[in-house]
Amino acid sequence: MPSNKLHRAKVLLHRPAGRGYYRLVLLAPGLAAAAAPGHFVMLRVSANLDPLLARPFGISSVIAKRSIELYYRVAGRGTTLLTAVEPGRTLDLLGPLGNGFPVPDRAATPLLVAGGSGFPPLLYFSSRYGKQARLFVGSRDKECLPPAAVMKDLRSRTKAVHYATEDGSRGACGFVTDTLAAYLARPAAGESPVIYACGPNAMLASVSRLAAEHSIPCYVSLEERMACGLGVCMGCSVSMKSGGYKRVCKEGPVFDSREIDWGGKTILQVGR
Amino acid sequence: MPSKKKTKPDLSVDFAGIRLKNPVLTASGTFGYGEEFADIIDLNRLGGVIVKGISLKPITGNPPPRIWETPSGMLNAIGLENPGVDVFLRDKLPFLRNYDIAVLVNIFGYCLEDYVGVAERLDGVPGVSGLEVNISCPNVKAGGIVFGTDLKAAFELLSAVRKATRLPVIAKLSPNVTDITAFARTARDAGCDGLSLINTLLGMAIDIRSRRPRLANCTGGLSGPAIRPVAVRMVWQAAKAVDLPLIGMGGIMTHEDALEFILAGASAVAVGTANFVNPRATLDIIGGMEAFLVQEGIGSVRELVGKVCVA
Ligand SMILES: Cc1cc2nc3c(=O)[nH]c(=O)nc-3n(C[C@H](O)[C@H](O)[C@H](O)COP(=O)(O)OP(=O)(O)OC[C@H]3O[C@@H](n4cnc5c(N)ncnc54)[C@H](O)[C@@H]3O)c2cc1C
Ligand SMILES: Cc1cc2nc3c(=O)[nH]c(=O)nc-3n(C[C@H](O)[C@H](O)[C@H](O)COP(=O)(O)O)c2cc1C
Ligand code: FES
Repeated sequence: MPSNKLHRAKVLLHRPAGRGYYRLVLLAPGLAAAAAPGHFVMLRVSANLDPLLARPFGISSVIAKRSIELYYRVAGRGTTLLTAVEPGRTLDLLGPLGNGFPVPDRAATPLLVAGGSGFPPLLYFSSRYGKQARLFVGSRDKECLPPAAVMKDLRSRTKAVHYATEDGSRGACGFVTDTLAAYLARPAAGESPVIYACGPNAMLASVSRLAAEHSIPCYVSLEERMACGLGVCMGCSVSMKSGGYKRVCKEGPVFDSREIDWGGKTILQVGR
Repeated sequence: MPSKKKTKPDLSVDFAGIRLKNPVLTASGTFGYGEEFADIIDLNRLGGVIVKGISLKPITGNPPPRIWETPSGMLNAIGLENPGVDVFLRDKLPFLRNYDIAVLVNIFGYCLEDYVGVAERLDGVPGVSGLEVNISCPNVKAGGIVFGTDLKAAFELLSAVRKATRLPVIAKLSPNVTDITAFARTARDAGCDGLSLINTLLGMAIDIRSRRPRLANCTGGLSGPAIRPVAVRMVWQAAKAVDLPLIGMGGIMTHEDALEFILAGASAVAVGTANFVNPRATLDIIGGMEAFLVQEGIGSVRELVGKVCVA
């Protein structure tokens, strides 16, 4: 029986992308054909039993309909091991997984809000729906922004980029939510904004609050630790406002921000 | 013309009256109710599925974080989230009935009456091959003492479930006890038809910077290859203590691991955490087991049950 989620993919390209990121391109035609912005994959970083579990990564692009591109930040043991994988090797991965971003209305102005290492799904989004979009990107300092090549693509695909760094080394001094708040206070004439955000939970909570204040739709892509990525272990659940939990890997990772119970997480901070 | 084709080894087993076409099952809580795996592997090739734990009423589960990876293993404190027996029967079981596999329903509760209630609801339901009773739950009516770590509570619970159903009853033992054989004998005395072991080992991990436990629940169950030697040892001890068929589990990743359990005395095995790491693990294990039997010239997997050579 053919399996449409489990893939053994050849590494076509794997190299440092700058600013602590690696770019990884995997040949996986079946996966590439089914992927959409917001989908993710579960990638085994080694064939050994330690670390045991696969790691989730957002798809940042589909190349020539046959390959997928990932950008990952070296965050810990798993991603450090991954950096040693040479082109030509094969890696086991599952995907595409999860529910992606809803397709924006043609009249809408997507506001892409990227914090920390949350840019990959938005990079993919921008390749399809970037023309009308504005990007709000934030980090601690300019060296923690997405890699230069990524920023170049994002700049060329969107109609404006609003930078924020906590030390003021690039763009406005402050959080990405500050620049977003400034825009929402005085949106450009004729624009009807819809937010698409990915980044640390605290940032997403703040973005979600801003969206609620301005009564605009807001979709957030959440990150939670995962074991299976398939919806069976119930390990990646997040609290819902309506009570109970939903699985980030199955019902998410993209949620309507109004659904999420943000708890006390509205601290205006953007991760590394 | 087919010449001297090697005869296929016989992988089938009869487990407490349940016919399994091979001894490889999926462990409760690691395979959902089968649906998510149906487009990844051919479910018909499995010996059977042990479904995620079912309770009388729906349970929402524990707050996140619920999982934490550990060396060659993981901790989980899911909190037995499940939709309850009625939704299971209405929405989940019909899907599994499309397949020609054994379906063992894992049941649990927080008091004796809850267990009995689920067992009664499942009695006589077509498509249910047997009950696996998870006794690693606290009895909230008795001050939270865990059924599976108290001989008297375990006996009363398993006897009551036994009376509530005509299905084969398999007690799933907790490894968080000093003497597993005492619990194996208790389950036998309560009338159980088989045993499953082991459930997860109670564990904990701490974030040294925030000084907080990694799991919102503080403690969680350890599973994966890290627990395998403990599990093999307990299966071996239980097999010597009672004359009941056993389902062995705990860290099985490969057919070699599965065969260890069989040699220790298990008639069947269940694959748990491995499903997360390699969703094809069950099929790889079945294939590997068959190849091993061919290689060793063994006609049936049943010949290996309990055949560890102890001088
Ligand atoms: C749906 C989804 C999509 C993701 N997409 C990307 C992506 O495109 N690029 C990227 O660089 N990262 C992405 N992540 C985060 C990535 O999965 C983690 O950084 C990675 O698993 C860390 O593995 P590690 O073994 O190196 O780190 P560990 O040693 O396990 O941990 C190191 C650090 O990473 C954090 N971390 C670990 N697991 C996760 C996780 N599941 N989610 C968030 N943080 C985690 C830990 O809190 C810790 O601070 C995504 C996560 C999810 C859930
Ligand atoms: C995420 C997760 C959920 C589980 N849920 C259940 C459950 O609902 N009922 C149960 O009896 N055991 C449950 N278990 C225990 C497994 O069925 C199995 O006994 C244990 O994990 C050891 O096997 P393994 O190391 O192969 O995973 C769960 C285990 C995991 C990892
Ligand atoms: S990671 Fe297992 S249910 Fe989401």
